[in-house]
Amino acid sequence: MKLVGKYINKDGSGHVSLRPEDDEDMWHLYNLIQEGDKVRATAIRRVQNVSSTGSTDSHRVRTNLTLEVTRVEFTPAITSSTADTTNAASTTAADVTASIQISGRVTVENPHAKMGAHHTLDIEVNRDVRIEKEQWDSVALNRVEEACVPGRGAEVAAVVCGEGTAAFVLLSEHLTTIRHRLTSSIPRKSSSSTLHEKGLNRYYQQLYAAFLRHIPYGSPTIKVLVFASPGWIRDSVYDYILKESERTGNKALMRAVREKGVRIHVSSPHVHSLVEVLKSPEITAQLKETKFAKEGITLDRFFKMLGSDEMRAWYGPDHVALAIDRGAVGTLLISDQLFRASDPAERKKYVGLVEAVKDKGGEVVIFSSMHESGQQLNQLTGIAAILTFPLDVEVVEQEEREAKEAEEEERRKAEVAGEDS
Amino acid sequence: MAGLNLNDDETEGPVVDEEPPKVTMAREKLLEEARKAIEASEKGKRGVSLIVIGHVDAGKSTLMGRLLYELGRIDEKRRVANERGSNKVGKGSFSWAWELDGTQEERERGITMDIAQQSLSTPHRQITILDAPGHKDFIPNMISGASQADCALLVVDASTGEFEAGFERGGQTREHLLLVRSLGVSQVVVAVNKLDMVQWEQSRYDEILGQMQPFLLQSGFQQSKTSFVPVGAMSGVNLVNREGPDATALSRWYTGPTLVDLLDVLEPPSRNITAPLRFPISNVFKGQSAAYAVQGRVCGGIVQVGERLRILPGDESALVKYIEHEEENVEWAADGSNVTLYLTGVDPVHLNVGSVLCSPSDLIPLATVFTARVLVFDVSVPVTAGASVELFHQAHDVPASMSKLLATLDRATGAVIRKNPRVLTKGASAEVQITLRSSAYSGPNARPRPIPLETFAANKEMGRVLIRREGETIAAGVVLEIVS
Ligand SMILES: Nc1nc2c(ncn2[C@@H]2O[C@H](COP(=O)(O)OP(=O)(O)O)[C@@H](O)[C@H]2O)c(=O)[nH]1
Ligand SMILES: [Mg+2]
Repeated sequence: MKLVGKYINKDGSGHVSLRPEDDEDMWHLYNLIQEGDKVRATAIRRVQNVSSTGSTDSHRVRTNLTLEVTRVEFTPAITSSTADTTNAASTTAADVTASIQISGRVTVENPHAKMGAHHTLDIEVNRDVRIEKEQWDSVALNRVEEACVPGRGAEVAAVVCGEGTAAFVLLSEHLTTIRHRLTSSIPRKSSSSTLHEKGLNRYYQQLYAAFLRHIPYGSPTIKVLVFASPGWIRDSVYDYILKESERTGNKALMRAVREKGVRIHVSSPHVHSLVEVLKSPEITAQLKETKFAKEGITLDRFFKMLGSDEMRAWYGPDHVALAIDRGAVGTLLISDQLFRASDPAERKKYVGLVEAVKDKGGEVVIFSSMHESGQQLNQLTGIAAILTFPLDVEVVEQEEREAKEAEEEERRKAEVAGEDS
Repeated sequence: MAGLNLNDDETEGPVVDEEPPKVTMAREKLLEEARKAIEASEKGKRGVSLIVIGHVDAGKSTLMGRLLYELGRIDEKRRVANERGSNKVGKGSFSWAWELDGTQEERERGITMDIAQQSLSTPHRQITILDAPGHKDFIPNMISGASQADCALLVVDASTGEFEAGFERGGQTREHLLLVRSLGVSQVVVAVNKLDMVQWEQSRYDEILGQMQPFLLQSGFQQSKTSFVPVGAMSGVNLVNREGPDATALSRWYTGPTLVDLLDVLEPPSRNITAPLRFPISNVFKGQSAAYAVQGRVCGGIVQVGERLRILPGDESALVKYIEHEEENVEWAADGSNVTLYLTGVDPVHLNVGSVLCSPSDLIPLATVFTARVLVFDVSVPVTAGASVELFHQAHDVPASMSKLLATLDRATGAVIRKNPRVLTKGASAEVQITLRSSAYSGPNARPRPIPLETFAANKEMGRVLIRREGETIAAGVVLEIVS
């Protein structure tokens, strides 16, 4: 993302202009733009002209629209799939990129848009967007900064395979994009080993073709090519691809697989096994600075703590807020989803929690919901914490209740005293 | 082997919707005939299916290979071929296992990766054998086999240190036993194998029994339904008899039943033929003459040639052209039988492992959210609300999450101990809500594909689930209610 302009007042209000360059930037914008913000971007409007002779012609004009946002929607890049039949392979492929739609009311009138009219903006790559907020909080400002670091971060391409299935996935700092899914029905060995062998062979062929098409193995931003599976399929796939690249004289592929290929054992062929990939030593050694590896490691630390010392692993907004109150939070795990709350007070609450942890020298990891670790955190209410010292949830809750009761008692006494005098 | 008549898969071509085979019998008449046939079989050979389980390398495949040979199911020519083949790749010790480890990769690695299906007969039983992989990574295949079995044969390796390795935490002896028990298998025969490695010492055999018995009881196997037998799979000792020089050491102290004696008295399943038909698909392949073959077990009801069946999930249906049971064509198959159905009039894209075939008038419900009563296994990390898991049902598994922890329950009485617990720890009994996850990262509106599922009250076999996380089985349960 390019930072085109930025003006923030002392009171936190102001505007930022950004130029998105890829899917990842779309995701940043989606997380920055909130209901109530004013957003300006170019839009296409159809205009009808009535000429002096009475004939009408219509043409499109590009115009700047400014909307007060009522709704933001993010559509991820589409996943294509090959569902194999035993006769023929039917493939749907679509290289559609991610996009955002913003709806709202026009706040700046121009010849093509009436004040207050309802309108939708499709945010496009390489066109500037100006976002005006009444309050740029620290989480939003950090995101702008993070989004505008020049150059693209490291990426990982992964093929997660099982017997007859494969998912082709690209991981960037904030996004997981499943480029393609392959399902090929391999008769199980109880039918006959010849049928099984044949099915397996066809699966490798299909996988190879899909790999060439969906994995940009030559791209310099791809730092690692992961082959993940339970059992030994990843080895067979790896060998098959090397063998085919040699046979067809595809030197670039051969080099990419040799130099960047890593084979990682995971326990299941589902895409969610990517969490196992991201916390594997093979990946953390090379990519521990990347956001996705950091998320993976942190979530793993949380679960390990939950296993070894339940009193130091808390989750849920109310419980985590209590732990923060007591200065017990060493690491806060929080999902970007919580900051997209439509209620500004809700967002403010979470921004407050983040700031409180940081103020006390704690670490904050904001998870992307577009990564598997973020999805898992979302299922765990979106917020969790690793505590620096053990606290018993029930004891703390009990203390809170007592404190509240004591407070009420005080107030009642004060009221009674007031009436008396 | 079931399904070996499929060598003509060259006959590619469009699915032709030819003249449908006639439904041979009206339902009433069919039920009557089935009842009679089942009664008649009570006097002759009764059918039962057996899953062979145990830690990797315990000797499961070897035991089955040798048993098939002893019972005359493998002829001398085939035995020699297996011996030669395995010697050639330097895996001579796996020559008996070769019969079951049929794929190239299994033979090269000397490891069973998927269920092998065989049939054998003892004086009073016709047994479908499902040889399971022991390796941790292939537990999904083992589960798919176990959901088709009535009984289990557990093989343990008696050699020094090996029994212990399989039996301790992380070994498959325990996990397999818990898995099959959770899937409704209540009878188990324990074959204590490789006693030749410990000079056939009775003390070792007794020691192993001493450790296994309490664990079996604890895991819910009644003592009357458990039996033990000392064997030497490799040399064929005490499988069918105790003849020959290899058996003399054992004969000195053992006078009990042989393995076949024990298999011959396995309790066959009760057959509920009036229930609605449920046929969960565990394998799909191309059969003869433009038919597609699906393998599986009839889990309730009865299916006959000529019937049109609905395929769930989805709107498609297919016609039953043939039914194959134990290598023979049959007119119908009843609850509890492991069969291959040959279907026509359907595009094979609609035939998937995990789909369920039903009669069009009595469909199985579809679910994306349901509640279950679960028992938490010996987990290393407690189960939290929202935990990402894989849900195993019949032959397939899907991503899911433990969306709500509703209550922990007393294991004995089922009374609620605590509502909305924060975590579930090992050994807990609990009521939970499980939600299937959509596997794409497509924002909040992505909906998962439902799976065919039934409450345990409606159909026991279709109402059992297993829950795994990162390669560890964390819980087993029964479906209470389908929420949506
Ligand atoms: N000494 C001895 N070795 C055996 C016996 N049964 C099996 N084995 C060996 O154990 C190894 C594993 O056997 P296999 O049948 O593949 O085990 P599975 O993984 O349980 O199916 C092979 O090398 C066999 O030769 C036995 O009775 N005695
Ligand atoms: Mg084996």
